[in-house]
Amino acid sequence: MEILGFALRRLLVAVPVLLVSTFLIFLTVAGSGDPLTELRERQPPVPPETITAEEVRLGLDQPVLERYGDWLTGVVRGDFGPSVNRNASIAVEIGTRLGVTMRFVLVAMLVAAVLAILVGVVSAVRQYSWLDYLFTSAGFLFLAMPSFWLAILLKQGGIQFNRATGTETFYMIGDRSVPPPPTFLAQLADVAGHMILPTVTLVLIHFAVWSRFQRSSMLEVLNSDYVRLATAKGLPRRTVLRKYALRTALTPLITVIALDFTAVFAGAVITETVFQWRGMGDYLLSSINARDVNAVMAWLLVAALAVMVFNLVADILYAALDPRIRHVR
Amino acid sequence: MSADSSPAPVTGAEPGQWRTVATRFLRHRLAVAALAVLTLVALFAFVGPLLWHYGYDEITPDNSRPPSAAHPLGTDSLGHDLLAQVMRGTQQSLLIALSVALGAALIGTVTGVVAGFHRGKTDALLMRVVDLFLTVPTIAVAAVLGHNFAGKSGWFLIAAVLAALMWTTVARVVRGVVLGLREREFVAAARALGASNTRIMVSHILPNIAGPIIVSVTILVASAILAETALSFIGFGVQPPDTSLGLLVANAQSAVGTRPWLFYSPGVVILLIALSINFIGDGLRDALDPAQTRGPRRRRYLAKPVERTGVIPGDVLLSVRDLRVVFAAPGDDVPAVRHLDLDLRRGEVVGLVGESGSGKSVTAAAIMGLLPPAATVSGSVRLDGQELVGLAEPRYRRLRGRRVAMVFQDPMSSLSPVHTIGDQVAEAVRVHQGGSWAAARDRAAELLDVVGVPDARNRLRDYPHQFSGGMRQRVVIAMAIANDPDLIIADEPTTALDVTVQAQVLAALRAVRERTGAAILLITHDLGIVAEVADRIAVMYAGRLVETGTAADVFDSPAMPYTRGLLESVPRLDRPADEELWAIPGSPPTMTALPSGCAFAPRCARRTAECDESEPGLRQVSDGHLAACLHLTVERTPR
Repeated sequence: MEILGFALRRLLVAVPVLLVSTFLIFLTVAGSGDPLTELRERQPPVPPETITAEEVRLGLDQPVLERYGDWLTGVVRGDFGPSVNRNASIAVEIGTRLGVTMRFVLVAMLVAAVLAILVGVVSAVRQYSWLDYLFTSAGFLFLAMPSFWLAILLKQGGIQFNRATGTETFYMIGDRSVPPPPTFLAQLADVAGHMILPTVTLVLIHFAVWSRFQRSSMLEVLNSDYVRLATAKGLPRRTVLRKYALRTALTPLITVIALDFTAVFAGAVITETVFQWRGMGDYLLSSINARDVNAVMAWLLVAALAVMVFNLVADILYAALDPRIRHVR
Repeated sequence: MSADSSPAPVTGAEPGQWRTVATRFLRHRLAVAALAVLTLVALFAFVGPLLWHYGYDEITPDNSRPPSAAHPLGTDSLGHDLLAQVMRGTQQSLLIALSVALGAALIGTVTGVVAGFHRGKTDALLMRVVDLFLTVPTIAVAAVLGHNFAGKSGWFLIAAVLAALMWTTVARVVRGVVLGLREREFVAAARALGASNTRIMVSHILPNIAGPIIVSVTILVASAILAETALSFIGFGVQPPDTSLGLLVANAQSAVGTRPWLFYSPGVVILLIALSINFIGDGLRDALDPAQTRGPRRRRYLAKPVERTGVIPGDVLLSVRDLRVVFAAPGDDVPAVRHLDLDLRRGEVVGLVGESGSGKSVTAAAIMGLLPPAATVSGSVRLDGQELVGLAEPRYRRLRGRRVAMVFQDPMSSLSPVHTIGDQVAEAVRVHQGGSWAAARDRAAELLDVVGVPDARNRLRDYPHQFSGGMRQRVVIAMAIANDPDLIIADEPTTALDVTVQAQVLAALRAVRERTGAAILLITHDLGIVAEVADRIAVMYAGRLVETGTAADVFDSPAMPYTRGLLESVPRLDRPADEELWAIPGSPPTMTALPSGCAFAPRCARRTAECDESEPGLRQVSDGHLAACLHLTVERTPR
């Protein structure tokens, strides 16, 4: 498929820029301080040979240029390098945490996209109706809402709800119960109960922007010549809207959602910290605090990779929805 | 990130223009209110601390107090006065956000201008850098960088980090606008005069992209506020003992249940700032891009049918009487069609002629019931005796495509780009005749064959972009005849096409007429086309019918000076090639400021004092030949 080739070519052009930026970030994190400070200052003191062994294990005894070289060759071979935390493998940590984070990011994006389409279409078709005004005001409100504030607000709401109903409907801490409930169904319900409020946070923040976008792209299509011609053919308004207007107004939203994936991911990092999930957000923040260069680098690489995969999926979707792209080149 | 990015470019930057922008902005009530709120918040943050007797880092003996007279926003568990803290936090957050916006505007503008102006490799490289910034969550990199500055951090470092990460949106917007501007005449002219690239960029391009930059930077302030507070919230932004709104929320999060006052006020301030900035940005966008000025807030146009008396003769298919269309616009209503009378007999081809803006297309849209919501239509339009003005939409729908079909001007945009040709034509068949898709597709192939699309059956699966302009127009014509309509309205069907293709499309129209016997209302400004196919001609000027008659009447003995002017401005083979073409002096009147008398008088060689007194009605020149002129002296033009 030509689209794949195009995406790959774009990736190749990005390689030099990627190298420069990884180098800069590596320097920054490596320069942020000694990851062994805590070990050195431990009371009672740790034997010097242990500290030297740690320095060798983490490559701290070498100049920073060489450390970057080692890291790069390691990454190419699929090895993220040693973590400051001796008992944890970076790959394993990121693997499990990515699962936790992506689970609610994807669900949130899907729900937000569906909501955005519905709301955007309704407010475009019923322009200037009270529904349109309501959705527009809500859009502006959530666009201006700090995600962490909304998350805490919802968390508080969840607590109140549980208290009022005397149930454990929402869980406000962690991404699942420890230990997990015995049956599979109970586990599913448990995960859902943990997931619902963080997901709602992400949905509310992002669907607002997307529905505004869907509304304006729908309005633009509604004023297009082919919608006028479809009407002039005598098609019922419903068919015109569904087949001609919605179908073409959807494609721009795909690009916006793909571009916004980074923003959703960033929002997830914040939301997770509020709900104390052991997800990607927590891993990033604790790695930065531990001055764990390799873990931070791995985190950023994986995030960038996720973004690229997402953009690729968007490109393919776009081509599937728009024959003009399909036939070009 | 804002939803509706890439505002349209504003051209020219004279002081007068900025004054109109300011006026338009002031008319945007929500934006003005938002500006007032933001000003109050800024005063609160920067002047407030000077007036308030507690410092933000002062520890008072009252700890964990709910709001009271002494502490209007309460105190935290250490005894900090929250009002003082919120003021300090707002100050820090605003300071950072504004610096971020300024820094990002600077980096983004320079990058965008350089990329858009130089294009080629520079552009490709810079855009890859921009792409890279879009690949990683800003907050993550900001956290990494922010951690480095922990302890020694002031607001300036945080602002620098965020600006270095957030300039890309500005760069993209600016680049897009510059790419478009680059090819414009004034840039070419400056280059021809020998101006250097830097000079062109600074003095010719920058003033012209000021509008888009202002809008995207305004929106950026809101994003920066949200980014900074989020960064401080996760602990990598402003550090204690100093404070920011994000930090205040972070400190309050464990105590929402017990000391809610600590949580709500800083959050509400963030919300208020971001909200008002977004509204200001919206107002600026509208002020800078007047094309988006809103019309009346309704969903369908208004229709005021007029009772009519008199019998319509049996051979008249379409009878229009006293048709008026007015568009509501801010300021003044704009009349588009004024008192139009027009009859079409069955199977007749009538050419509706006039300059652009004379109301031809609006007339067509009024007959089809396809006017935009801003319009108000009154008068009477009867098709086969049925009144169309004010006809309910479901009944109107059943007429469209079945009794009256339409061909639009631009075949490039009148077909859906994402549906196949076969689908679109077959649909036109099915919507009124029902039946299976297979049968409809067979019929579609037949129809395409009639209008001269070669190899029609095999092209049913093709998409519009795989057809040439002429072929697309044939497809549209095929859809128009799908249900053997009584009337086809062709609105400038050949204008968007090459001259050679024009003839072919016209031939297709003629073939269609012979085959279906449909009457055709052919709207055009091209008299050559009318001369070829029309039985009768109706000439419009400034929304009115000014002359009508048979093609022979109008072409051979035009009675209205305007018609004569139109005819004389057409190049003709029977005139000497070196004879100068005549052009009507002046330009059509502004529809909002029509003269009280004859609308054409200001451009007319025969103008007399009476012409300015009242608008002349249609008067008979000969049988069936009418003209709206006080000085009817028929001149035979040599043929």
